[in-house]
Amino acid sequence: MTTTDVRPGVHPPQPTADSSGDRGNRGSRLSDKSFIFFLLLPGLVLLLAIVLYPLVRSLVSAFFKESLIYPGMTFVGFDNILDALGDDFAPLLGQTLIFTIGSTVLSFVLGMALALVLNQSFRGRGVLRGAFLIPWLVPGVVVSFLWMWIFDGNYGVLNGVLQQLHLIDHPIAWLFNTDAARGALIIAKSWNSFPWMMVMLLAGLQTVPVELHEAAAMDGAGSIRRFFTVTWPHVRGIAGLVVLLEFIWNFQHFDTIFVLTGGGPAGTTQTFATEVYDTAFKGYDLGHAGALGLLWMVLLMILVVVYVTFSERGEKSATAEKSERAVKKEKTR
Amino acid sequence: MTTEFSRRDMFRFAAVGLGGVAFAGALAGCSGDGSGGSSGGGSGAPTNFSFASWGMSEEATKPTLGAAIDAFAKKKDVKIKTPSYDYNDYLNQMTLQVRGGQFAGAAQLDVAWASGFAALGKLKDLSSVASGRGYTSAALKAGQVDGKQIGLPWTIAAIGLITNTEILEKAKISKPATTIDEFEDQLRSLKGLGGGMIPYAASTKAAQLKDILVWMQTFGSPLIDGKKCTIGDDESVKAVTWYKKLYDDGLIAPDVDRAAARTLFAQGKTAIYDDAPVGKAGVVQSSPDKDLASKMSSMARPVLADGDTPVEVLWGHLVTVVDGDGADTAAQFAQWLTSDEKQTLSYFSKLGLPPTTKKALASSAVADDTFVSDFTKRVTANASAEPLWKFPQYGQMETEIADQVQAVLIGKASPKDAMKAAGEAVQKLMDA
Amino acid sequence: MTALDTETAFAAELTSPPRPGRTGKRRRPRWGMWIALVILALFAFLPLYWLAVTSVTPNDQAFSYPPRLFPTEITFDHYLKIFRTPAIFRYLENSVIVSVITTLLSVAVSMYMGYAFSKFRFRGRKSLMYFVLSSQMFPQALLLVTLYVVFAQFNLLNTYLALILSFTTFTLPLCVWMLKGFFDALPDDLIEAAKIDGAGPWRTFHSVILPLAAPGLVASGLFAFVRGWNDFMFALTLAGPEKQTLPPGLVNMFITESSTAWPALMAASLVVSVPVSVAFIALQRFLVGGVTAGAVKG
Repeated sequence: MTTTDVRPGVHPPQPTADSSGDRGNRGSRLSDKSFIFFLLLPGLVLLLAIVLYPLVRSLVSAFFKESLIYPGMTFVGFDNILDALGDDFAPLLGQTLIFTIGSTVLSFVLGMALALVLNQSFRGRGVLRGAFLIPWLVPGVVVSFLWMWIFDGNYGVLNGVLQQLHLIDHPIAWLFNTDAARGALIIAKSWNSFPWMMVMLLAGLQTVPVELHEAAAMDGAGSIRRFFTVTWPHVRGIAGLVVLLEFIWNFQHFDTIFVLTGGGPAGTTQTFATEVYDTAFKGYDLGHAGALGLLWMVLLMILVVVYVTFSERGEKSATAEKSERAVKKEKTR
Repeated sequence: MTTEFSRRDMFRFAAVGLGGVAFAGALAGCSGDGSGGSSGGGSGAPTNFSFASWGMSEEATKPTLGAAIDAFAKKKDVKIKTPSYDYNDYLNQMTLQVRGGQFAGAAQLDVAWASGFAALGKLKDLSSVASGRGYTSAALKAGQVDGKQIGLPWTIAAIGLITNTEILEKAKISKPATTIDEFEDQLRSLKGLGGGMIPYAASTKAAQLKDILVWMQTFGSPLIDGKKCTIGDDESVKAVTWYKKLYDDGLIAPDVDRAAARTLFAQGKTAIYDDAPVGKAGVVQSSPDKDLASKMSSMARPVLADGDTPVEVLWGHLVTVVDGDGADTAAQFAQWLTSDEKQTLSYFSKLGLPPTTKKALASSAVADDTFVSDFTKRVTANASAEPLWKFPQYGQMETEIADQVQAVLIGKASPKDAMKAAGEAVQKLMDA
Repeated sequence: MTALDTETAFAAELTSPPRPGRTGKRRRPRWGMWIALVILALFAFLPLYWLAVTSVTPNDQAFSYPPRLFPTEITFDHYLKIFRTPAIFRYLENSVIVSVITTLLSVAVSMYMGYAFSKFRFRGRKSLMYFVLSSQMFPQALLLVTLYVVFAQFNLLNTYLALILSFTTFTLPLCVWMLKGFFDALPDDLIEAAKIDGAGPWRTFHSVILPLAAPGLVASGLFAFVRGWNDFMFALTLAGPEKQTLPPGLVNMFITESSTAWPALMAASLVVSVPVSVAFIALQRFLVGGVTAGAVKG
């Protein structure tokens, strides 16, 4: 919004020795409005039709009394929203954040650990990099059923294993205990998503120049310190993106919760996503569901604004750094 | 070198965008399945129609139901499309389709869903095809909403207590309990058998905890009184307190829904559970005990005081007709499927789904099946619709109640507070 | 032309991933690494092992407790039955069609968008970027209610197109941002150089930038593929019985009113996951390499 000049790149074109700099400038005139417009067009069409229109329509519902099954709608102003902000809102938000943050953090930690391991060189690494992707490729709905099958309190394999190891003496109803049920959900969701975290982070790790690590090691930096001083700055950008997207997706996530706990016990694992579903498809109340959706969107929006601001700032400094490096490289030739 | 996207540009972009979508729509053209809202023409020649069901997606029912559909199609020389969804997604999908005018024809329906589905305002009144076919009046009533016959009864039974007679005998129980106190004593003797026995696999998972409503009624709470929800009254609190006692004493178990209960029963790990007769086939098939079928029986739900009438909750499937293309032939199909004697009896003998006409019920095929005929006498005879069903949003009401009952079971709330909260939540949904 | 070629080679060198880290140069035994690997492998593969075991368990033993970790009685009935069920292969075919076209479309759409965001500054850029990122922030259950009506109006229900358009849109946040990061890593000099050679902006993009971005395109394509492959709710609602993809198809087939055919469901899941897993294992080198060049920043 702030920068309004059209020219390729963030930094000024490299000055060139011959007169072609002029021609370059003239060339950039071709790349204005219409070029940008057609670049953006297909994506915008899709976003407008598939997301924006339904989104606006649902947000409008938030201000109306509207049912899924009865025709017609009545304007009610902020009633639905005030209602959604009632007593149940704080626990619902808390529960949503527990699941979302828990799943995001766990899958990030596992993905990062795995990426660090698979970035080492050892025999069979290639096969393992592929094999670890399988949990991500099992259809999501099957993942939910698989974990329900594992955690089941009456004949689940988890109880079977623990009992055979004599860690417990009778089967435990994991999904009937608030903390255990929350843990189970986080584990099941993270199992499904840590492989893609691994892929992204592994890619980030590969941008870390080996020389930097060696230099730091020679300076006597331990592996933990090396991780934070050498590795982290290079993967920070990609880590930010995957964490943000994973957070948004987990906030949105429905299947695992619906299948595994159905929001129980006693509604303590209910999240925005399952609550909206219940309200819209069991209570047929589109108005209330829309109000919940509106609040949910406002919350996530704050996060996205923070992220974009942060990443744009990071981008500027990174670009500067990169051009420096490019210059250096040029010199060494 | 400045590019400014003016507001007009933006509009232009938006217009081009929407044009693109329209173009895509035109491309797809008639590939869609638009079976719009034109009401089915005269009642003359039979026409093609659709029959939506979950029966056609379940392995157990698909061959039998498919054969019946084919038979009718052949008889009338029409084509019948059979869209199907799994039971759990069926109602949502059908609601969206009917609401969007995308579906017309016959549709299977759970008796519990009748009022919500009728609220869409697209269902044909089937009174004319229902009359003179010999349906029992109780069955016909299950398909009525606000005095309108929106569905023909296909199979009607109840959710009753199914027992394993062998295990009961082992615990020296010769006669099933008639009162709640006796019932509790019997559960304790069953528990005494040891071996991880769950005496009564009552539902405790959120999805099926609605089963507790019938116990609240047994304790004397009407649940709904006119425009008022009575949950939170002494009777409902007593019922939940009792349920909690069973839970704490290990007489019922956590993490049980209907599927889990059937499994436990098939494994011989529970002596009693709640189900409709339809569950028997699956239980027997998945059991390592090849004689289980002969050990399965049923009992009337225990009552508070000797002499009370047991309270049972209705279970069943209807066939409804959504108005539109082919609706008239679809209505004939619904009539044939649910009341043709040969058809209903073959359906019963293959799947164990009790028929709904007096004649079929009196036939030797039904009378000779002791499991079903006993169940009909002991349980179905007293069955009635759950009071919450008359509200389309009953699904969310049941969720609210289930959450509160679970809160009691895991010790998060007292029965009194929890039921008060549940009653208020239901009341709010009723008033909405 | 030669100028362009050298530039290309230069950029390729710049953007090709640095050689994988050789950090562990036999300094000392890497116990920590092996322990971590074993723990992670147990977490990742034990559930899969149990899925496989369940898929060969006879129905009447599936629920025995305690469960047999090492099955004593094995049956391949569930697999045989799957191969005799044509519907599963129809679902598989639908899934492949939808996922592959989604992949292609998503890559095509995101590369243009990502390029615009990366290399050009224009008014509304930031707002649009917010919008792309936030397009997945609204409850999908609600979007679905309206989207169903929209697709119905355009007569797109029960078509592949409905699924493809929806899934493509849902992949945009990730793919656009990933490719934007990728293009950010390409030096602007490339564009300048192409211009000097008289190439128009389209030619510059298609014949100079895109070839360099190929690994990134493959990577984002694979992510798009998984999105189409995994979706349940939209696939169930928009596709109709004929165009049904695997996730709703499997549920429709194995999960009934109140029981689940666990062994058969597990067998079917394995069967359908195998082709895509093999493809991904074969492509994983490309995948990691592809993200790499674009991964300098998100």
